[in-house]
Amino acid sequence: METSARPRVAALALAVGVVLADSSIVVLALPEIYRELDTSITGVTWVLISFNLVIALAAVPAALIARRVGPGRTAAVGLAIFAGAGLACGLADDLSTLIVARCVQALGGAAAVTAALELLPATVGSERRAATVWAAAGATGAALGPAVGGILTELVSWQSIFFIQVPVALAAAVPILSVARHEAATGVLEAEVRRTGRPHLWANLALAMVSAAIAAALFLLVLLLIEGWRLSPIEAALVVTVMPLAAILGSRMAERVGDSRSRAAAGAILVSGGLAGLAFLPKATIALTIPPQILVGIGLALVLSALTETALHGRSPQAIHGGWTISSRHAGVVIGLLALTPIFTADIDQQRHDAIDAGTAVILDSPINPLLKLDLAQKVSDQLETEKGKVPTIEPAFEPKPSDPGERAEVEQLQGELQDQLDRGATHAFSTSFILAALLGLIALFPIGLSRRVDL
Amino acid sequence: MSGEGRWSGRVLVIGSIVASLVLVGAYLAAGGSSYEPEKVQDPCQPRPWSNPQTLGQIANQFTISALDGAACQLGVSREVLARALATPEGRERFKQRYGIDDEKLAKAVRAGLVRAVDDAEEAGALPALIAGPLRQAVQSIPLEQAIEIVNDAEGFLGNAESFLGPAQSIIEQFLP
Repeated sequence: METSARPRVAALALAVGVVLADSSIVVLALPEIYRELDTSITGVTWVLISFNLVIALAAVPAALIARRVGPGRTAAVGLAIFAGAGLACGLADDLSTLIVARCVQALGGAAAVTAALELLPATVGSERRAATVWAAAGATGAALGPAVGGILTELVSWQSIFFIQVPVALAAAVPILSVARHEAATGVLEAEVRRTGRPHLWANLALAMVSAAIAAALFLLVLLLIEGWRLSPIEAALVVTVMPLAAILGSRMAERVGDSRSRAAAGAILVSGGLAGLAFLPKATIALTIPPQILVGIGLALVLSALTETALHGRSPQAIHGGWTISSRHAGVVIGLLALTPIFTADIDQQRHDAIDAGTAVILDSPINPLLKLDLAQKVSDQLETEKGKVPTIEPAFEPKPSDPGERAEVEQLQGELQDQLDRGATHAFSTSFILAALLGLIALFPIGLSRRVDL
Repeated sequence: MSGEGRWSGRVLVIGSIVASLVLVGAYLAAGGSSYEPEKVQDPCQPRPWSNPQTLGQIANQFTISALDGAACQLGVSREVLARALATPEGRERFKQRYGIDDEKLAKAVRAGLVRAVDDAEEAGALPALIAGPLRQAVQSIPLEQAIEIVNDAEGFLGNAESFLGPAQSIIEQFLP
């Protein structure tokens, strides 16, 4: 690669990374947005769903536009739209405005990402190398997104996630502008449509299924950690960093195995195994989430790279087939979130009631003074009303503690037992959704199995 | 594809299956399938009294029996009712949520108190001589007073004069 091309490659990689990070960067901010904008879990998931849905719908048309009007222009305009809409997201003070701004942001993002794949071959020298840089930038962005989002949410605010994207996107656009100034519109749209041929059906279908499972893994785990186990966004960010770290290991493993179908199958199995592990957590302990996250992380690196390779192999132009893979992945994310959100929302509600009842039973059956136990039951009830619809914080219900050492010890034991019931409820509430996500990963084995024999 | 590549692919797939099964198996063996809130007991089922020794212990179990009896009548759990009866606001929310009026609630709480007296008598914590008049007394008291007894059974059992009048002295002889 020429030295002069390096800033452009870096800019293109940055553009792809920042856009694809955006599909996951808000995951850790969702609980904060949920509280601040006073919405429902279903409502707040649309901050994530809307972005992924628009990317899924716009990726292929954006690739065609990039081929027609020039990828440099498309990428530069796309990044400008992405930055402007990011600013609007940060300034939004209600959910509707935020969701609309996210949709516009996704339109700009789709244009930038697909145009980047069109620009990369000329910049790095080959289509294969371009696909590698493009996939790596996207994977890095998507992997780092949750951690960056969690840290920014806790240290600054959820709005800062969007504000910080503005200078980053504009910085990525600057080196691309020189390409845009020198390119002429090719007007190849109709010819492209004829020449492009059909996308790789089975690889893209498998990508959608696996992406649904992976999105569910990340989204559900973050909600479990923050809403269920009451971790702070930074703590949750540190916990879920296990997944991208494991993905690095998975990438190394992927390099050692040439057979893409085996890599894809092994990846899907590991993603499913990890999700099943999360479904059967035997205790509400962070350490127990690590082995399943390692399996999911290694699995996603294996399966996503293998399926993207298969989908792009021997197909040209890459921007359009890259558009199909982006479209499939984000459609999968949307399907996963849409299918699982109502299930775990209902489960959280049910488990919250069961846990509160179980905790109240512990209080009622305890040997403490009846007046004290009814006072505690009353405070727990008040706390439930204060934090309507959420897993409650129970500490305030147990304050102030009795001054008598014997009673104090009994009350502290009760608090621990009630907390245990809440932890059980919060953890169990996600089980069904994790199992369904694991099944999605396993079902993806069918298109993976067909991905080479029937190469459409 | 080389034979080595295919072999590596097969090893990768088998390794993935084994790793997944080991993880899920270990979590299930450690109780992963039953890590959920404990189920609360049906309030209509009898809840045996332990052997109460002090007035406080009797009052404790009396409250539980009263809540069980009232919850059984209303078709809710004892835990939901306990939280509902703790405050007037909680009671109003409960009545709205379950479509219950004051009359139905009063009837249920009185039935709960009768069950508590029955259970106390059966457990030998109240002699029949006292249980009879207590049972009569709680069957006609107003709702507010009935709830007060559930919430402060110790006060009720320790100072039953207002209900039993002359029987108070008898109670004092029998209660610990």
